[in-house]
Amino acid sequence: MTAATLTAMSPRRLALHRMLRHGSFWFGGGAILLILLVALVGPLFTLDPVAQNLGARLIPPVWDVRGSWTHPLGTDQLGRDLLARLVDGARVSMFIGVATVLVSGLIGTAMGMAAGYFGGRVDLVINFLITIRLTLPVVLVALVVVAVVGSSLTVLVVVIGLLLWDRFAVVTRSATQRLAYSDFVIAARAIGSSTPRILLVEILPNIVGPLIVVATVEVAHAVLLEAALSFLGLGVKPPLASWGLMVAESKNQLLFRPWLIAIPGVALVTLVLAINLLGDALRDVVAPEGRA
Amino acid sequence: MLRFLARRLLVTLLVIACTSVLAFSLVHLSGDPAAAMAGEGASPADVESIRRLYGFDQPIHTQYFAWLGKILSGEFGRSFYLRQPVVSVLAEHAPVTAKLGLSALAFALLLSIPLGILAGLYRDTVIDRFALGLAVAGQALPSFLFALLLVYIFGVQLRWLPISGSATWLHFVLPSVTLGYYAAPALMRLTRSGMIDVMQSDHVRTARAYGLPAWRVVLLHALRSAIIPVVSLAAVQLGFMLGGSIVVETVFSLKGLGLLAWQSIQRSDIEVIQSILLVIALIYALLTLLADLLNALIDPRIRIS
Repeated sequence: MTAATLTAMSPRRLALHRMLRHGSFWFGGGAILLILLVALVGPLFTLDPVAQNLGARLIPPVWDVRGSWTHPLGTDQLGRDLLARLVDGARVSMFIGVATVLVSGLIGTAMGMAAGYFGGRVDLVINFLITIRLTLPVVLVALVVVAVVGSSLTVLVVVIGLLLWDRFAVVTRSATQRLAYSDFVIAARAIGSSTPRILLVEILPNIVGPLIVVATVEVAHAVLLEAALSFLGLGVKPPLASWGLMVAESKNQLLFRPWLIAIPGVALVTLVLAINLLGDALRDVVAPEGRA
Repeated sequence: MLRFLARRLLVTLLVIACTSVLAFSLVHLSGDPAAAMAGEGASPADVESIRRLYGFDQPIHTQYFAWLGKILSGEFGRSFYLRQPVVSVLAEHAPVTAKLGLSALAFALLLSIPLGILAGLYRDTVIDRFALGLAVAGQALPSFLFALLLVYIFGVQLRWLPISGSATWLHFVLPSVTLGYYAAPALMRLTRSGMIDVMQSDHVRTARAYGLPAWRVVLLHALRSAIIPVVSLAAVQLGFMLGGSIVVETVFSLKGLGLLAWQSIQRSDIEVIQSILLVIALIYALLTLLADLLNALIDPRIRIS
């Protein structure tokens, strides 16, 4: 492509163009779509993920000589179908990831925009809140809250959401600061637009790029945190499946049946890696000048 | 500099004060810690006596200030499960976490600084791609999974290293690798970008023009200015690692603050949980302060703004 065609393209088309040529975008986005599809329609095809069958415990996956197609990935120590639980776990991970980021994104963006736009004391207070948030050890605080309040998906979403807003705030703050004195914002103020209107109509659409990048990273962060909490026994409660919980339940099988850990483990790594790759691709498109 | 120092100290104090409120109130979220402490099947009279004993019948702010007063005079309360003063429980567990944190940091630096230098010097080559790939893969691997993987390879299959306990320094190898690996990518990226910047600077060009050998230019002239921000990030990362040690200590049964925190949560051992939260937050705040001062020392612009 020549420089002439590049300049002839609108910024949006240019971004799209760059995106479609990005390997990470296709790999990451493809894997996420696949997992999302599995999470949505998978349960229609799999066995009951919570049905126990003590007569069929610890069957190995189908590639083992003792495996069978009834349980393609084998069964766990309670005789539950591993594939069904894996699909169920995909639903939990996806739900936690997306729902949490809605909560943390809303909090972080509101705080970051306020700090960046108003500056002064508001900025000082919000920076202080960010510092406090960073001082709290995330895993520990989440564990305490879940232990005290009790565990449910809602509690997990709220707790993780309340803990992971800091990066949203930091990024939107500096993005808003850059825009607060730009010509179009000054113009909007001059024609008498209200502050909420300036924030929502003028500034917000212009910081969507970095916002999406942070959101992607934070989905991965939330998925990992849920897995860690479930692994520690204070996340998703059985019989609901979660990949972290599946690893924890099979921890003592590491010696003889490592696949029980490897299967949910690979699923988890694939999902997080895919999200991170998508995030990298988005960052290259949104802020190509900052490419490391 | 003195004004900057005073302001940062004040902010740190305020942060610690606010965290203490949070550490205290988190445990009271359920409304009745006495019931949790008494356990299931306790008689109402038992719950009532625990409530009286620990002062849970007082208004919450009275409880907080009573607790804070005790903390400030060095009295952290008693672990109702272990039947020991919290101070001695913490003193027993802290050295393990300190050892783990420091050796994890050492591992992270040993991995990230050479890789960062190479990636920066040979930008956009195979080495650079490899280093960045390692960072991306590392961030996608949950620590508990990485820990189990190391246990499987080095503990079960090769039988090279112990996988549980904290008896010898060999016991710390796998946990430190697990924990340090997560701090490495950020440190590596910072070293890399620092090297890229400094290799184009005047003093490095002059050193090269003198005809100094390449290793001298890189290690003595370039690295010296590229490394300072890395050191201050390392201080912050050490703080993160103390918070993250809970997963690693649980997997490897290291009797440090993380494992203690996890066990205390299971036992509803409130005074211990509050103290650990406070101690970890305090250490983190101090490490961040240290990093800020270090940054201000090398970059006068930070001091003024």
